[in-house]
Amino acid sequence: MAPDKPRNVSTSVLVIGGCGFLGHHIVSQLLEPSTAKVSVLDLRTTHNRLPNCTYYDADITSPTAVREILQKAKPQIIIHTASPPVVNDGQSSAQRNGAKQLYYKVNVEGTRNLIEQAGEVGCVKAFVCTSSASVVHDTVSNLANADERWPILRAPLQREYYSETKGKAEEIVLHANRKYGDMLTVALRPAGIFGEGDMQFTPNLLKAYEKGQTKFQLGDNDNLFDTTYVGNVAYAHILAAVALMETHALTTKPLDHEKVDGEAFFITNGQPVYFWDFVRMVWAEAGDKTEPGQVWVIGKDTGLMLASMGEWAFWLAGGWTPNLTRQKVKYSCMTRFYCIDKARRRLGYEPRGGVEEGVKRTVGWFRNGMVGRGGEEVVIVVII
Amino acid sequence: MGCASSMGEGCHGGVRIAFRRRDNFGDSTKSLLHSCHDRLPRPTSRTFSAFAAKMPSARDVVYYLFHIQELRAIIHWKTWHKPVHERDESKESRDLKECYRFLDLTSRSFVAVIQELHPELLVPVCVFYLILRSLDTVEDDMTISIEEKEPLLRDFYTHIDHENWTYDGNGPEEKDREVLVKFDCVTREFNKIKDEYKIIINDITKRMGNGMADYAKNAGDNSSGVKTIEDYELYCHYVAGLVGEGVTRLFVTAKLANPALLQRPELMESMGQLLQQTNIIRDVWEDNEHKRCFWPKEVWSKYVDEFSDLFLLQNREKALQCSSEMVLMALNRAEECLLYMAGVKEQSVFNFVAIPQSMAIATLELCFQNLAIFDRNVKITKGSACQLMTESTQNVQLVCEVFRRYARKIHRKNNPSDPHFLDINVACGKIERSIESIFPTQTPRTLPHGADQTVAMDSEEEAKRKAQEAEAKKDVMYWALAIFATLGIITAVMVVAA
Repeated sequence: MAPDKPRNVSTSVLVIGGCGFLGHHIVSQLLEPSTAKVSVLDLRTTHNRLPNCTYYDADITSPTAVREILQKAKPQIIIHTASPPVVNDGQSSAQRNGAKQLYYKVNVEGTRNLIEQAGEVGCVKAFVCTSSASVVHDTVSNLANADERWPILRAPLQREYYSETKGKAEEIVLHANRKYGDMLTVALRPAGIFGEGDMQFTPNLLKAYEKGQTKFQLGDNDNLFDTTYVGNVAYAHILAAVALMETHALTTKPLDHEKVDGEAFFITNGQPVYFWDFVRMVWAEAGDKTEPGQVWVIGKDTGLMLASMGEWAFWLAGGWTPNLTRQKVKYSCMTRFYCIDKARRRLGYEPRGGVEEGVKRTVGWFRNGMVGRGGEEVVIVVII
Repeated sequence: MGCASSMGEGCHGGVRIAFRRRDNFGDSTKSLLHSCHDRLPRPTSRTFSAFAAKMPSARDVVYYLFHIQELRAIIHWKTWHKPVHERDESKESRDLKECYRFLDLTSRSFVAVIQELHPELLVPVCVFYLILRSLDTVEDDMTISIEEKEPLLRDFYTHIDHENWTYDGNGPEEKDREVLVKFDCVTREFNKIKDEYKIIINDITKRMGNGMADYAKNAGDNSSGVKTIEDYELYCHYVAGLVGEGVTRLFVTAKLANPALLQRPELMESMGQLLQQTNIIRDVWEDNEHKRCFWPKEVWSKYVDEFSDLFLLQNREKALQCSSEMVLMALNRAEECLLYMAGVKEQSVFNFVAIPQSMAIATLELCFQNLAIFDRNVKITKGSACQLMTESTQNVQLVCEVFRRYARKIHRKNNPSDPHFLDINVACGKIERSIESIFPTQTPRTLPHGADQTVAMDSEEEAKRKAQEAEAKKDVMYWALAIFATLGIITAVMVVAA
């Protein structure tokens, strides 16, 4: 997915969560033209470190720590990607409750703190926040060609607490546009991020492959699903930062139809594929040889029944969640794709390279990681 | 006739697209459409025999006994299809009647859709067809020397308004030679149509004649057929894209289609490309039997050394992968075809463009992951053809449904071990997404009631929600207990009974 050179950001940028999966891709793209002065704020900055970048350890929920770093780094642009990982299955209810509190603390309180500190410190002109495409989706019903007119869902319609906190965070960020002097804000909503360094999407699929689950399919596989290669998401963040800086330099407010500040944008590969075919592509790339005729299709209703029975049995046994959950069944049977025309028009975003290239790079990275580097990546694949 | 001449030979295939000589979607289309024209005279015995040949064979009877749905589709079509417009024979001149006779002689499946066209375009399109057919007949005839052929093709457009111009240089074997021998009937009718239509027909004839002349001239040194994908698409442009452009300009001029179609020429180009590419994929076996090859070398050379190797038993997998790449190229045109069809206003024009498109997407699905295309002629069954015709003579939405249905069929046949697996998937997804954007199934307004409410997430609300959740959980627990208890009792009873 050899990117054409990102648009140059020749100023100081602070990437919050810059050691994370998405964050370090943004840092690496920012450093490509190398005129940007890049610094990173993360809870722990031991992983994914890149040269020519300054690293600061801090908790984003702490006002004093954040203020101190902002004063040191003096960023004109903040790109906020920090978010706790979504809890996977196989957790007890106590762990799930803990995770919920963490989501709220980091996503809502953390984001609010960052916005307030950034607004008050005075040097920040552009604030780009990573939201999520799931803020408009209840993670159950079908979503076809959704665009930015779709409303952000709240409980009880929003059934995922994680998405709810992301939606709240997005509102805080967009609401702050032009509220702190002339600091401009924007939110990007990527859908189904995967790529090198992915801790959730791809490893889960590869785990299923290693367990030999490739001969099963839930649902009829007519559901289109949007995914986004992490390189494209990172690229969109840089485009958004540049667009905000350009708006900032204007003496008049931009017209409504070309406005970027205070707006949210869906970001995808622009190539929705059928859910199970994306999965099979990953498996085939990892070495799977299953022919279409060998696949055992479990209907959605049967799948839901099996999952319910399993969940009840596990719940009776002490509140754990089994491998096959109703949520997973629904997730793999639902349509979910977005319209990215707004990002195309206003940010000049065009996905660089297709899904296939992204999958090849990603699976290649995991395979090399497992064979070559040993250690870390193996652990990821096994644990998650 | 080597591959060299195949280029030339192929050009006739061009006209094959919109008005093809070899029947593309099975003779079913013709005979069926014909059956709705019982009131029309059938001037030649050939038509009758073609129709008579459609008397069901024992094999057909057995087939349709096991495919009742298809039988139903045939009956449905025969019973319910009514032409949108019909020819008014009382007002037709002798020349025009002769033109319709030629049309019936030379075209198999287009004769009916043309004759159902809006009266405003009926004669222009018929004449346009006969002119292109004649051009094709000259181009196709290997008994005419290149010295004679080239200027004839290039200057053909200058003859179409000469009321006495005829040509009898075709070999006696050429079955369509009669049209050229009596070409003055066509030119006289041409002179009667409106000037704005004449200009269009003249322009397309000129460009197609030049394109054919170029191919005929190059035939000598172009020894390996179509080389690059670019050549392949250019070839399809000359033989199909130009026809698409011609008819689109006629439709728009007659105010029967949205003028915006001319602002986006890529749409009409795709209409022709999808049809022609589908034919080329489907006819691969037959073309190879005739030592012709229209699949571009750039594609097949990735899989085999010689084109004919695709047909060898040991290369089955390679051949399948190669055909996938060909199907992918055609499939990528489908989105633009849908957008084009959405711009057609008049019903008869819509039928004229939509029937071949539906047949094409169905044929593409039939050819996809199907090794039979390398062994014999494949074609969609008469039952499917009838169903497609019924669905293609209503509205765009129904044609979109046809495209969606076949896109899904293609995606279900898709094999992850195929190198084009994901690209084909993306292409099918593109078709579905574009249908979704033409006819959205959901908008923010159709979302569940209350979706646009924004509830403040303060602690009070949270607590209330938690209480509700706990309540719900309790309910679930009781349910679960009840179910497990029932299951337990049943199990116990069964164990005891055993």
